[in-house]
Amino acid sequence: MSLKDTFSPFSAWRKVFEKPVTIKDPISERPGADRYRGFHKNDITSCIGCGTCETICENEAIDMVPVEGVETKDGDSGLRPRVDYGRCCWCGLCVDICTTGSLSLTNAYTWVEEDPEKYRYTPGVDEKPWDNEEKGWKKPEPNYEFYNLNRVTMEHLHPEERSDSFVEMVKGYSKEQAEKEADRCVECGICTATCPAHMGIPEYIKAIRNDDLEEGLRILYDTNPLPEICGRICTHKCETVCTLGQRGEALSIRWLKRYIADQNPSEKYKKILNSGFLKKNGKKIAIIGSGPSGLSAAHYLALMGYTCTIFEKLAKAGGMMRFGIPEYRLPYDQIDKDISYIESLGVDIKYNTTVGVDITLEELGEKHDAVFSGTGLHLGRSTRIEGSDHKNVYQSIDLLRDITLGKEVPLTEDIIVIGGGNVAMDITRSLARLQKQKYGKAGIIATSLETEDKMPADREEVLEAREEDATVNPGWAPQRIEIENDKIKGLHVAQCYSLFDDEGKFNPQCNMDNLQFFEGSMVVESIGQGMDLSYLSEDLKHELEIDKRGRIKVNENFQSGLPWLFLGGDIIQGPDVIHGIANGHKAAKGIDEFLFEKQKDTPKT
Amino acid sequence: MSNTNYSWKNNRSLFPEADETGKLVVDLDSQKYIKVWQGPNHPGVTGNMSLELTVSGDEVVEAKTHVGYLHRGFEKLFERRRYIQCFPTCIRMCVPEPDTNEYNLARGTELLGGIEVPEMANWLRMIALEMARLQVLLRMVPGQAGTMGLGLPSQWGLYYRELILDRFEELTGGRIYHMYILPGGVRGLLPAGFKKRLEENLVKIESFMKDVDRVIYANTVFKKRTKGIGIIPADWIDPYGVTGPVARAAGYERDVRKDYPYLYYDQLDFGVNVEHESDVFARFLVRRKDVDTTIDLLRQIMSKMPDKGDIKAETPNVLHWKIPRGETLVRCESSRGEYIFYLVADGSMYPRRINLRGPSYAHAVTLLEKLLINANISDVSSIMVSLATCPPEIER
Amino acid sequence: MKEIIDHLKKRFPVYEIGEGPNGVILMSVEAAKLVPMLTSLKTNHGYGILVILSAVDWLEDCKFQLTYIINNPDEKRDLGIRVFIKREDAEMESIHSLWEHAATFQREIKEMFGINFPGSPRVDEPFLLEGWDNLPPMRRDFDTKQYSEDTYFPRPGRETNDPAEYMKQKLYPDE
Repeated sequence: MSLKDTFSPFSAWRKVFEKPVTIKDPISERPGADRYRGFHKNDITSCIGCGTCETICENEAIDMVPVEGVETKDGDSGLRPRVDYGRCCWCGLCVDICTTGSLSLTNAYTWVEEDPEKYRYTPGVDEKPWDNEEKGWKKPEPNYEFYNLNRVTMEHLHPEERSDSFVEMVKGYSKEQAEKEADRCVECGICTATCPAHMGIPEYIKAIRNDDLEEGLRILYDTNPLPEICGRICTHKCETVCTLGQRGEALSIRWLKRYIADQNPSEKYKKILNSGFLKKNGKKIAIIGSGPSGLSAAHYLALMGYTCTIFEKLAKAGGMMRFGIPEYRLPYDQIDKDISYIESLGVDIKYNTTVGVDITLEELGEKHDAVFSGTGLHLGRSTRIEGSDHKNVYQSIDLLRDITLGKEVPLTEDIIVIGGGNVAMDITRSLARLQKQKYGKAGIIATSLETEDKMPADREEVLEAREEDATVNPGWAPQRIEIENDKIKGLHVAQCYSLFDDEGKFNPQCNMDNLQFFEGSMVVESIGQGMDLSYLSEDLKHELEIDKRGRIKVNENFQSGLPWLFLGGDIIQGPDVIHGIANGHKAAKGIDEFLFEKQKDTPKT
Repeated sequence: MSNTNYSWKNNRSLFPEADETGKLVVDLDSQKYIKVWQGPNHPGVTGNMSLELTVSGDEVVEAKTHVGYLHRGFEKLFERRRYIQCFPTCIRMCVPEPDTNEYNLARGTELLGGIEVPEMANWLRMIALEMARLQVLLRMVPGQAGTMGLGLPSQWGLYYRELILDRFEELTGGRIYHMYILPGGVRGLLPAGFKKRLEENLVKIESFMKDVDRVIYANTVFKKRTKGIGIIPADWIDPYGVTGPVARAAGYERDVRKDYPYLYYDQLDFGVNVEHESDVFARFLVRRKDVDTTIDLLRQIMSKMPDKGDIKAETPNVLHWKIPRGETLVRCESSRGEYIFYLVADGSMYPRRINLRGPSYAHAVTLLEKLLINANISDVSSIMVSLATCPPEIER
Repeated sequence: MKEIIDHLKKRFPVYEIGEGPNGVILMSVEAAKLVPMLTSLKTNHGYGILVILSAVDWLEDCKFQLTYIINNPDEKRDLGIRVFIKREDAEMESIHSLWEHAATFQREIKEMFGINFPGSPRVDEPFLLEGWDNLPPMRRDFDTKQYSEDTYFPRPGRETNDPAEYMKQKLYPDE
């Protein structure tokens, strides 16, 4: 210890002459840093109320509450997060995981309030001084994600492998792929409301993650007795509202469903679904048509103990699923897997029996306690243009049916398909395959009124058709079919620039200066289907209420004006498998309710 | 100073006798002894912890530590939290230097979950960890003088610590709880101009350390009150689990950054600061040198780190991230010593056990109790602070 | 490292030898052989530091796992030794004579898991929880949430809705 040690500390006095470092008014003189994690802000118009912020909050500080002015609709729960600042720790995980990117934290430092209840507030709804503050914590960039935004790619057969065969082109997920895809789900459950059958989507996806596919199958069959089929060709409305689609690619819900069904062998179904023994209640139900709605109704009615008989016009069950959808999209053995399970529940299918010809509807009604009809849309519509009555002008729906039945299908080397929907693509791609098999090359052109961006067909259908060497040339209105020497020469078309008039009515407008001619020796029309209700006698039609567009009116249980007659599927709700399944399920419940009420009302003898 | 006169071994008659079980017989009615509680609220106690001191005159004859004032049961809470949810919770296990918690949890989760962290994220982790160390040292080095009434420099130190906290606010969005290092990576790149501003702060801090040297290091009073106080014999280091600056002050060249290199510390050039006296002054000196080392390391990191890069590895969806069954030990060097997490995963979404063993767990319970015997009561806080006691990491 | 493992294999009934993700060798040993094994490692092999003594509750197997991680500062190596003991009247031999600060770990484990270490200094004194009269809290059958619900009162005015459930009520309540 030296003398220096004694004097040196006095140098502290030097600080007296220095400028103080403290700030007088820190809040205004020194605003928070750009990334400061302050109070919550939420853009409630882009928020969809998925509740993922609530799930990740480790302090349970977030509640999902209904908010005035925000409506519950498809893809939006109508709920918004409310934060309890008695629990929040401002970690910002809610911001980092926010599926829409609507939630953020501002860099506001202080908030003084006398009433502690005020510290529980709904950002974006309760006005706060920092609502317009731009700075603050936002989800870090780049490549910072809490879940994967990108789908696990589904493997398809290459165009050259598939374009001349009807082998299923979508390969399906492997275990690893399925689990990786299932891992992306945030379990919000927004999809469930949009699914017409309200399937327990987050639950079965969770079953995939837990590798408990038997549980997954049970969840599927709760609401959907055709998982193999739906897992392939469902219109997957759920995926359009999937929360993950907000910032990335929606979850492949359809392929995951298929994965569960594919992995469970059919012989174990009865054990897994615990349907080995069903108690019969002695009541009989007749079901017309073995399409999705009929099969679905039969399945749920059979589980409830009813004896069901399905009357099918054709030699095989499945309706449009078998006779409308080409095999490369939905292989027949997969249809058989689903249907044979339903048959194993005691459902009897009478093939080659046309109601209205072999047996009348009245007879069915008398012999059974109730009748469900899901006869679908099997009549092709014609364009009615000049020349469309020629013998080489076909209806796509008839051709598709013949392909399934294994019949010889008329085929030429150059075919024109009119129509831009999925059925048009189906027939285009099917005929292209047949052409390749027969002639070694495809020569088919599909044209539609709608322009490329407005085509009703799924985008991938169009792209895949092109990969398979078919030409898709949309945006043309067919004018007339050129016929020479009783042979079709081609189709005259005019550019179509508008489909609907100002009132929203279908009224296509053409530019007659822009004409084109598609050469071809065969024309297939595929512009929609109509229903065949010829099995309804005039007397019955009288008792049913039929609207202007020819649809029979039914109540919310799909019960018609005739109490014993229930109708569902495409004839009621338009062409869609999953709607048909949902209708069938609901009608089954309706039939059960109706018969239960009826039994109560009938005095016991 | 008193311990130069008496010693535990040689002057037994001055101290209470032990009974046959080894327990001291302190007869308070004899009026020879007084029981004094230091803490849980006491300016000389770091955090909330209390010392039950039995004194004879101003000599401590028996000391018992009492913790539990800050027990929040974090290790229990982890059982109910997903791995990602543990991360905002675990930082609270040590308030002054939360980043080591973040790092250990993240590293443990990544090791068990098989995640490879991008290079940029690792550099950013080093920046955060070294800034955290500097920020603690700026409190602790002048704070050592605060325990003996020299409060002024510790007030100065707080200002310079705030400068680092400003940088933390800029980088991480938080001043105290940074919540920056999360399983899989970090939560942001350096903001524009960050390096420049940090460098300016480092220059200021360096000039401040000269003040510290003038006012504390070259200070007769400080030297008289720290030299020869709280000596930890070198052979106590291992049996008592002493680590970090306290072990280095006893001549042990131990530093996790050197011995078990993690992140990119093996790419940096730095030495281990060692002293041999093992008293409070030696520990102060080690920490004082650590400030310079840390500043140097920060400069090295800033010059070596890349400008761009990914900040986070791709992890499974954090909402159901299952970590395969396994267990691991992760350690890093905190400003107080070896900071250790023991993680056990059972294959579910939730950790089976995350156990923290901070340096204070060894320093501030068994060692402190032993070290305080013979000490003058006025030196108690000085010894306690020199061990870098941090009660929250004892209790979690 | 291999020599030590071979040596241990010869002398002690060790099993489940494996390497952890960052190179820590972990092995299990019968409870009765633990203290001799640790003593041997400490005195003959330079494993002079007790890094951590931790307990894990495997409720489903009715077992407690005690993990002793020891460190050799010269070779800079860690060795983890696991011991499984039965959950009922759990008791383990104390190692405070080998490492002074083991007493702190043991005192905490006694309190948090209810595993007794007879002879360990102050093992019966409460460490963190003065006046605790419930199950040892770190046991997995102690339900923190239930405890907090029973002991404290929830803040009024909190209610939440599950998005899927809420949408069902709003959009299709009858289905």
